[in-house]
Amino acid sequence: MGAHLVRRYVTETDTEPDPAKKFEFDPQFGFAERKEREMIATQEQMNLAQLPVEQRDYCAHYLLKLMKCKRDNWPNFLACKHERHDWDYCEHQDYVMRMKEYERERRLQLRKKRIEAQAQAA
Amino acid sequence: MAGVGFRRWAQALSKGKGSGISALLSGCRAASGLSKDSLPGPYPKTPEERAAAAKKYNMRVEDYEPYPDNGEGFGDYPKLPDRSQQERDPWYQWDHPDLRRNWGEPMHWDFDMYIRNRVDTSPSPVSWSTMCKQLFGFIGFMLFMFYVGEKFPAYQPVVSTHLNARILFSLFFCWCFFLTVTIFSSFKMAGSSFF
Repeated sequence: MGAHLVRRYVTETDTEPDPAKKFEFDPQFGFAERKEREMIATQEQMNLAQLPVEQRDYCAHYLLKLMKCKRDNWPNFLACKHERHDWDYCEHQDYVMRMKEYERERRLQLRKKRIEAQAQAA
Repeated sequence: MAGVGFRRWAQALSKGKGSGISALLSGCRAASGLSKDSLPGPYPKTPEERAAAAKKYNMRVEDYEPYPDNGEGFGDYPKLPDRSQQERDPWYQWDHPDLRRNWGEPMHWDFDMYIRNRVDTSPSPVSWSTMCKQLFGFIGFMLFMFYVGEKFPAYQPVVSTHLNARILFSLFFCWCFFLTVTIFSSFKMAGSSFF
């Protein structure tokens, strides 16, 4: 799991992307069509639920459903398995998407470097 | 008349060498206290005075050493080695086992500091320099590693959520040539699994 860290700090320091910085490639590049992600839970709903900032992501609507389910079924703490699974699955998909974004950025950086090397060699 | 008596009484009090209530009433010392010759006295100047002082403190003349006479007010009180009671033999049958002291033994000037509950001069298992090196070496190493951690942070190979929050939605079948490793499904972003 540390391969990206070795790449970033040791072997490929110029191409490995830094997740703290903004990515430089156009999000539409290489895609036929791509929609922007949308929040389904509204600001007002999240404020009413008093969600902390870290939990206000694209899966917040599942989290709100889960919170409602837990509130309604208390003290049965085993009740909301389905809702929890939904939220977990959404978070998992989100994580995988983010991984893919990172990998996309990395491959585009490598490609850019290859093109520059070719241009120099020529 | 009463005024004169009162004045005499106050004078006797101010001169008072006495102990306790008896001093207030009669202006002289009770017989139950120490006699004047067993109390500490002035710095011994002649060898006879030194011998008398040693005898007073139950010490041998060759062991007796008063504090230097430089105005600090120790008088003839003996200067004993600055060792705490903790260093004394724990197995010997002391008269006062808790204090590790025998009756009549000369008391250190700072005896109340050197009792076993307080200051301890017993030697440490390792020398002071070794202790310093180990402690500060460890602290220095930890600080250095924290600094390295700040310079080269470890992160998951994912885009951070709140920076690139406007990530575009990807249709899954465009990416199906990527291998999505199922290991990563067990790692959640910090904050997403509070329960």
